[in-house]
Amino acid sequence: MKALEVSSLSYSYPDGKPALRDVSLYADEGECVGIIGPNGAGKSTLLLHLNGILPEDERPRGEVRVCGSPVTPGSLREVHRLVGLLFQDPDDQLFCPTVYEDVAFGPSQFGLPQGEIPRIVAEALRQVGLEGFERRSPHHLSGGEKQRVCLAGILACQPRVLVLDEPTSDLDPRGRRELASLIRNLGATRIIASHDLELVVDLCSRVYLLDGGEVITSGPSAEILSNEPLMLAHGLEKPHSLQHRHPHS
Amino acid sequence: MRHDYIDRYARLDTPVHRLPSWCKLLAAVIMLVWTVVTPPSETWYFGGCALFLILAVIVARLPIGFVALRLLTLEPLVIGVAVLALLQPGGVAVMLRILLKSNLCLLTVVLLSNTTPFADILRVLRSLRVPSLLVTILALMYRYVFLLIDQAERMSRARESRTFTLRRAGRWRVAAGVVSQLFVRSTERAERIYAAMTARGWES
Repeated sequence: MKALEVSSLSYSYPDGKPALRDVSLYADEGECVGIIGPNGAGKSTLLLHLNGILPEDERPRGEVRVCGSPVTPGSLREVHRLVGLLFQDPDDQLFCPTVYEDVAFGPSQFGLPQGEIPRIVAEALRQVGLEGFERRSPHHLSGGEKQRVCLAGILACQPRVLVLDEPTSDLDPRGRRELASLIRNLGATRIIASHDLELVVDLCSRVYLLDGGEVITSGPSAEILSNEPLMLAHGLEKPHSLQHRHPHS
Repeated sequence: MRHDYIDRYARLDTPVHRLPSWCKLLAAVIMLVWTVVTPPSETWYFGGCALFLILAVIVARLPIGFVALRLLTLEPLVIGVAVLALLQPGGVAVMLRILLKSNLCLLTVVLLSNTTPFADILRVLRSLRVPSLLVTILALMYRYVFLLIDQAERMSRARESRTFTLRRAGRWRVAAGVVSQLFVRSTERAERIYAAMTARGWES
């Protein structure tokens, strides 16, 4: 059973502009998969489909399956629980007045027992290395801390699949390094959409290249990302770490 | 981060800060209502009230300059209303009454917001069974007001750095542009926040 499977998914924006065309991809249990592509390729739109936030009302064309069962209006609650989504801008995701409340938001919405929540929150904050941040307010945190609180808020829901949208775009090198090692050590299935190709090479075993709403190609990360003409044709570039290395070595 | 002045001292550790939040909120609400309904002839009440508030400010170790600045920031609104009162018969007395009462109320609110973290006030409201939608709106407002101020500042700075004539009309046009952009961006952000809430199980 695949942890996540998307088959021939198409979607148009409300104004009729096509955003995704016949997209198919999958992720195995525990695998880390990258989605790369230029700005406006449809990465974020695709990610919003993975936990049922899109399409909003119309019937989807194509199918998304999470842990074997299809995403339907009736299964949304379960899907939100199984698939944790990390948004690009941490300020969109940290909507509670304190760190504690933010991390506790998911677990309390999903109806976990009230008595358990303090323990779950403490554990999630420990996982991201932010013990003792419970009473802080989000606007007093640094970018890296915000991003890690967001991650804690998702880990607290104990998802099977983690979907990360540009997780490192706002971080300085140290914040980026810390987040990368955090993501690497998570057991869940991970989907990472990013321009940060070094991060993708570092963490993901396979990648999908998305452009113009279509999957252009897919395969092992090192192989795809070291294909310089392909990278340049789609607004990306070959990562430095692959410059002097043969893809199959 | 110039804007953390809104509640800069809310997390100090003084006898006033240590009082239970519900107690401070209740006291503040009673004081506000009382100040509004007491007839202005009761000078002993207003004197006592002012003395009490000033003592509380001192015990809470809030810098007097900071409190005065906060009051001054809000003063234009108060003075605007007070000046309008001059238009009616006996206007001077009404104006003085408005000035006195509003300043006492403002001082009460400044004192409350700088001795009690906003999250604690929200918790008290929730436990008092204030409708959860209302509390949620307050919480979101508090969370995003800083971001909004930040964004407005960045945008007007960027605009100004590309504005070479400083005629008044041009300035107004710049301000209008910033406001409309801010509105559009906030609407978009609201949508993204809603998506983020839904993703973690929120059901409206």
